[in-house]
Amino acid sequence: MIMEFTQRSPLRILLGSPEKGLGPGNLGALIARAGVGKTACLIHIAFDKILQNGKIVHVSLQDGPDKISSYYNVILAELVKALGLKEERETRTLMEKNRMILAYLNQSFDLRRLRENLKNLSEKTAFRAGTLIVDGLDFAKAGPETFEAFKTLAKEYEAEIWFSVLSHRHIAEVNERGIPYPCHEVDHFFSVIVQLQPATAGIQMKLLKDHGRPLKDEDTVILDPGTFLAVAL
Amino acid sequence: MDQDMRNMRNIGISAHIDAGKTTLTERILYYTQRIHAVHEVKGKDGVGATMDSMELERERGITISSAATYCRWKGHRINIIDTPGHVDFTIEVERALRVLDGSVLVLCAVGGVQSQSFTVDRQMTRYKVPRLAFINKCDRAGANPYRVVDQLRQRLNHNAVLMQIPVGLEADFSGVIDLVSMKAVSFQGLYGEKVVIDDIPPHSLAEANAKREELLEAASMFSDELMEAIFEDRVTEELIDGAIRKGTLVRQLTPVFIGSAYKNVGVQALLDGVTKYLPSPPEVENVALDLDHESGRVILSPDPALPLVALAFKLEVTPYGQLTYLRVYQGSLRKGDDIYNTRNRKKIKVGRLVRMHANEMEDIQEAAAGDILAIFGVDCFSGDTFTDGRVNYAMTSMLVPDPVVSLAVKPRDTKAGGQMAKALGRFVKEDPTFRTFVDPESGETIISGMGELHLEIYVERMKREFEAEVETGMPQVAYREAISQRAEFNYTHKKQTGGAGQYGRVSGFMEPSETEAFEFVNQIKGGVIPTEYIPALEKGFHSCLEKGLLLEYPVLGMKVTINDGNYHPVDSSELAFRQAAVGAFRQAYLNAKPVILEPIMKVSVECPSDFQGNVMGSISQRRGMIVSSAEDGVFTTIDAEVPLSEMFGYATTLRSLTQGKAEFTMEFSRYARVPDSMAEDFKKKHADKKKGGKK
Repeated sequence: MIMEFTQRSPLRILLGSPEKGLGPGNLGALIARAGVGKTACLIHIAFDKILQNGKIVHVSLQDGPDKISSYYNVILAELVKALGLKEERETRTLMEKNRMILAYLNQSFDLRRLRENLKNLSEKTAFRAGTLIVDGLDFAKAGPETFEAFKTLAKEYEAEIWFSVLSHRHIAEVNERGIPYPCHEVDHFFSVIVQLQPATAGIQMKLLKDHGRPLKDEDTVILDPGTFLAVAL
Repeated sequence: MDQDMRNMRNIGISAHIDAGKTTLTERILYYTQRIHAVHEVKGKDGVGATMDSMELERERGITISSAATYCRWKGHRINIIDTPGHVDFTIEVERALRVLDGSVLVLCAVGGVQSQSFTVDRQMTRYKVPRLAFINKCDRAGANPYRVVDQLRQRLNHNAVLMQIPVGLEADFSGVIDLVSMKAVSFQGLYGEKVVIDDIPPHSLAEANAKREELLEAASMFSDELMEAIFEDRVTEELIDGAIRKGTLVRQLTPVFIGSAYKNVGVQALLDGVTKYLPSPPEVENVALDLDHESGRVILSPDPALPLVALAFKLEVTPYGQLTYLRVYQGSLRKGDDIYNTRNRKKIKVGRLVRMHANEMEDIQEAAAGDILAIFGVDCFSGDTFTDGRVNYAMTSMLVPDPVVSLAVKPRDTKAGGQMAKALGRFVKEDPTFRTFVDPESGETIISGMGELHLEIYVERMKREFEAEVETGMPQVAYREAISQRAEFNYTHKKQTGGAGQYGRVSGFMEPSETEAFEFVNQIKGGVIPTEYIPALEKGFHSCLEKGLLLEYPVLGMKVTINDGNYHPVDSSELAFRQAAVGAFRQAYLNAKPVILEPIMKVSVECPSDFQGNVMGSISQRRGMIVSSAEDGVFTTIDAEVPLSEMFGYATTLRSLTQGKAEFTMEFSRYARVPDSMAEDFKKKHADKKKGGKK
């Protein structure tokens, strides 16, 4: 399954990257408007890691664990169907073993708590994640100090942290490096920035920043809107 | 009868153990003249507080069963449910909250927000119960009501506001200053029955003014009129009371009263608070399910003229028979009425209608919507709904947590056996969290409940109330076996013992199935085994699943496919093919590499966030796998999967790890393979047992 999946995973957009991915200690952002599929895409990124036996922590700032968990189940079922896989039970076991959901409901998120929770996981349960998925952080309100702290956390845990970033149709602000609102003032904290946009052929995944390397036109992947697997390479 | 429902209050008194709620209730009953003498919980006079109705409770100094009682205060009718504080009895608290319209959260001025305060408060939030807080024991050394108010705000997220400040503290505590009337109130007489109102002592005036400012600021958020009045300096007591009541009813404000029930200070003022700020029955929305219309939600109206809807929320055995506590939500109930139990549509005649005062009772002729009362001689379960037959409503089912601890019980002798059965039948009806069944595998009677103490109390009650001496043991976890790979069989059953012989041959294979069920696939072609013998084969294989060949545990998740065989026109029979199937099973089973399975439970622990690490560690130590952790303000819910065999004693461990502030629920999730090291242990024990048996 791993081979089939990694060949069509959204993360193949970073195959040309000098680090072949986001890399430990780095922050990555996935920007899209509401409803384009940020969470689904982040879960695919999570599966990319899980299937390679990597541990991930999914940090949800909006939805409870049940909702996130059923999202993973739906995506797993779709992957099994789309890739014609036979090892569903084993994959599910792998997912349950390697995934942890931390939810912060009713605006209860704070970095101090996240740090404490990660410490508890690591010390009390020996669960040390190599990837953090942070879904639902309000970039418009989070200041530079928040990302500074996330960066420190990423380095401390030698983990890569992926964020979902909500952009708005009516705010077209873009900085001189081509990074749109609301990432435009904090883009220096991020090693990788990817934008998701609906396109006629599917969902276009476009690299806006990749560890400082110059980007080319082909740094774009088209994803199937149903499965979020790459259709055009 | 006083029909003014607006002057009715159904309240609960909830707290952690030792906060003094029983003493508080006792004083309330004294001041409302329902009793004429005061006893303490552990009274030297050997009588005990009136609300502690059971002998066992008196002995242990704790309240186990909630008892409903009725009193009047300044033209208001108040039904009080005294609720237990121990976490093992939270179903009592939950039930009480279900039928109540408001509650008083009792806190200790020394201990503050602790242990069960979290649990009890969360339960009140779950049932949307408006509450007042009463900071008790202000006379004790170390009492600090201000600190407790801060804890209410920070730890329980209450918008807590002091309605009073103390006059003196600890040994000097003598009264309170009412911040609404701005008067000093003291309680004189042998039991503080004489309320004396004075001017505020000059040395307390500045503090009283400052605290009143805080009170007005908080209250004015709920009343524009009060806000204007504050600006125009024309604040009245009515305006303040109105605003506080408004804030309390929407559960956005918690008025805090202070006192010492034991020293007879502040209880009457709390009663005034109950009547002023807590809701009357018409102010609370109650919902029933209409069973005639796909269980649609129906809002009940506390109108005595409408069809009756009442909920049985507590049962008690008395020398006169079963006493059923009812809360009437709609309509009215008269002595001699015919009522129907929604669960079984059984008609019941209401014989005797009583209003309860702990163990004493007062006969009444009629009860109307909003009232809490008790009826005699009705055979029902706790949680049943009663109507007058005009509607088929069920009250929204009460949230009943599943039992988490089980224990095997064995009567000491035959007489005890009969009594034990009687006792168990009674307990099951009284307490929905208490369950009992006979384990078909071990033949033992298993009781299960919310905690070890919960079960201990029932074991003691069996002894005391039913004279049933029982021995208790550790329950056995229900292990299973399952095959892990495909194995072929080709078995011929042949027996020649004179007369007709037995002959049957079957071949095929067994393999693990996707589900836990048994699957049988017939791929016999060309009639090599006649169709009439196929069911016998299936039965034969099925019968083998009751006891696996590895450790004699039942077998789960097997798919058997038969694809060839042979028969004899004379010697083949159903019996012969059944035996052939048993032989085939024995031939293949061990080749299919059977493994041992254990029940895995879905465990959900709710704890204050500070204890997340401890709880995670405790789950991890129990071979548990943490699935998620969700924080919501000061609380964290940790979901995990843990083998049942590791969960015994967890309630106690969790309590000690979290200072009693966590609670957990557990339900069966699935069966999973036990670790190899454990499986080896099991095999060794099994072999030893067999060896021992043969000697």
